[in-house]
Amino acid sequence: MAIKFKSLSYIYDEGMPYAHTALDDINLELYEGKITAIIGETGSGKSTMVEHLNALLLPSKGSLEICDKEIIAKEKNSGLKQLRKQVGLVFQFSEYQLFEETILKDVAFGPKNYGASEEEALAKAKEALKLVGIKEKMWHMSPLDVSGGQKRRIAIAGILALEPNIIVLDEPTAGLDPKGSIEMIDLFISLNKKFNKTIIIVSHDNEMVFNYADRTVLMAKGKVAYDGPTLELFNNEELLKEHKLMEPMLVSFKNELKAQGFDIPYDVRTIDGLADYIAKEIKKK
Amino acid sequence: MSLIEVKNLEFGYTEEENVLNNISFNIEKGSYTAIIGHNGSGKSTLAKLLSGLLVAKSGEIVIDGLTLNEKNIYAIREKLGIVFQNPDNQFIGSTVRDDIAFGLENRCVPSEDMEAIITKYAEEVGILHLLDKEPSALSGGQKQRVAIAGIMAMKPDILIFDEATSMLDPKGKKDIKALMNRIHQDKKYTVISITHDIEEVLQADDCLVLNKGSIFMHELPENVFKKAEELRKIDLDIPFNQKIKEAFRKRNIKLKNDDLKGMAEELWQLNSNH
Amino acid sequence: MNNIVFGKYIPIDSPIHKIDPRAKILALFILIAAVFVPRSWWMYLLLGVIILSVVLISKIKLKMILKTLKPTVFMMIFLLIINCFSVNTGFVVVELFGKAIYSDAIFNTLFIVVRLLLMIMITTVLTATTKPLDLTLGIESLLSPLKVFHFPYHEVAMMISIALRFIPTIIEETIRIMNSQKSRGVDFEEGKLSEKINAILSLIIPLFTVAFQRAYELADAMEARGYVPDKDRTKYHVLKMNANDILFICFTLFLLVLSILSRIYL
Repeated sequence: MAIKFKSLSYIYDEGMPYAHTALDDINLELYEGKITAIIGETGSGKSTMVEHLNALLLPSKGSLEICDKEIIAKEKNSGLKQLRKQVGLVFQFSEYQLFEETILKDVAFGPKNYGASEEEALAKAKEALKLVGIKEKMWHMSPLDVSGGQKRRIAIAGILALEPNIIVLDEPTAGLDPKGSIEMIDLFISLNKKFNKTIIIVSHDNEMVFNYADRTVLMAKGKVAYDGPTLELFNNEELLKEHKLMEPMLVSFKNELKAQGFDIPYDVRTIDGLADYIAKEIKKK
Repeated sequence: MSLIEVKNLEFGYTEEENVLNNISFNIEKGSYTAIIGHNGSGKSTLAKLLSGLLVAKSGEIVIDGLTLNEKNIYAIREKLGIVFQNPDNQFIGSTVRDDIAFGLENRCVPSEDMEAIITKYAEEVGILHLLDKEPSALSGGQKQRVAIAGIMAMKPDILIFDEATSMLDPKGKKDIKALMNRIHQDKKYTVISITHDIEEVLQADDCLVLNKGSIFMHELPENVFKKAEELRKIDLDIPFNQKIKEAFRKRNIKLKNDDLKGMAEELWQLNSNH
Repeated sequence: MNNIVFGKYIPIDSPIHKIDPRAKILALFILIAAVFVPRSWWMYLLLGVIILSVVLISKIKLKMILKTLKPTVFMMIFLLIINCFSVNTGFVVVELFGKAIYSDAIFNTLFIVVRLLLMIMITTVLTATTKPLDLTLGIESLLSPLKVFHFPYHEVAMMISIALRFIPTIIEETIRIMNSQKSRGVDFEEGKLSEKINAILSLIIPLFTVAFQRAYELADAMEARGYVPDKDRTKYHVLKMNANDILFICFTLFLLVLSILSRIYL
């Protein structure tokens, strides 16, 4: 278990006449080593939830357990800075956080804030930049002079350089073109599969969530409306209807194929997976 | 004569490097043209050239018979309106009402006529109930509606949408795309939409594909998608049904149909025939 | 951010809210002059009662005025101490640590305190009862005679209104950038001086980058919608003075005259 919400509520402007409950008695576990997607409409409480994950917001009620540390509402909680090193949070439009003169320096900024020496920080930065696929010849350029997709990857490298075990990405593909989106998805899958990082993605893109997330948490009006395996949610017509979710197009196509007589396994979730399966069936005969 | 004629257009931010090379195309009155291309293909630059926000190195733009130059620029701007990408950075007034009024003030519309115009266009895009709201109280999709009303109120002939949906959430995207389609329905406006939302191309009736500053394709939308392989080569997305076809093509199964049901039937037949 | 009350518009309805912004701005200057002229306590009593009634008529809570006064307390104490040391006229009120404190020191301080108090009340009434946009329109209209000297009064007003429009956006952005830098281990509260400087740079540079980008995009959007800085434009909001507004200004002028007379004869 990586993160556990225990009866957690968060109220904006608590005690004021315009107080607003953004999270309402949340009980939730986010599992270690998995890719978990958090979905829900704008204003459902997703972003508030994310800001709790590395203690930018502290609970109004209840508590939150992150990597064996418990953050309890209304108590003095120390060591938050160390916690932020364990949970790397990549914000939406994270490219706007870049500010150093060179890409390398910008990525090394985080480790230095945590007391790494100049060499250590640069070594970690180089490692992280290789991971996100920023070529060495670019390292000494200004982060402001590269393309949008590259900026975003540099910003992610800035978080990866802190070597967090849990990586939270808020809308990582928003505003990227198709190629940039695919590279971004490949990146977090390899972080999960190769480096065994726990990945939490906040996304509006149900298609992508269906393709890649192990588990899905659906937020609605500050509450958890669904928490479970992604496949179970998106393969279930009634659940989708109940939560007013669009059926992923691949599921629609799978249903068409089933109507024809194909017997498609439950866990086929990508176009390639489906095409492989059908091609094999056809050739079998 | 076409409503918009672009001839041998060239543009670059520096002397040596060109963002756009030798672009020529025509746009007919009342049409809906989608301009697609990956980031950096020059598609947004093209929108700025059409509205005279940038000046071309060479070439010619003729809009409704007027050549775009220093003398004609204001007359041409009266004919076209642009909805930009970022909903926040085009909201100028302090309330919805004031924002729609901004363009009217620039056009020297008499003060006493403004209220009626504001109400009319607010109603047309469905924001009548939001007129007194401040921008911070609106969603991205609502702000884009305000931008659209503000531009329609200035009675342009041409509406340019410069990635107007790219910063919105799925609901906002869907709403604005549907609104764009509705606005175009009676062909009163000529619509140009710069986008990388491939599904939007399906509602256009002409499509221009840009790559590295040049025109890569200029075809009807349905023909564009028949060339899925070529689109893939220049890093463009293709619609879901084309992705399915592509995946099977790679596995030596050629599908003729384009709709999901037809493809499923074809596959089942192949499965049964063997 | 919610603690700042000075200069905040209170969206309610009151007779003062209805007065033309130009009348209110003019009244502000006239009343400030009226507050600074008198040397008589009777006149201050009169002004105090009148200004207090205006506050009450405009439905502003007195608590709010008191809140805006809080930061000035320190200044007033400082003023009192200075006065105690420098003023040696009047009668001795009390002797502290062998230093005589004269009555005029206390009166002088009280004068300043009362003037400041009244001034803050007047300004609060103006900002609390006038929408920022109306205030801008009022300023623009009052500055318009300066066009004879080629003063760009319209551009100045446009600048103010755009600045007002973007304050909430920039605050939101600041919070977002602060959060993303906190996630990279930046500590905005504690740390050595060099760390502090770095922390501030990590906020300021992205903030400026974004602000410039916003400015460019905004300029394009304005231009595309037909805005030309020095061209004539019509106005959606047309300010109209009515008899009440004129009466309101006359009343403040009457108070100014009274103040001047009180200084001469009392």
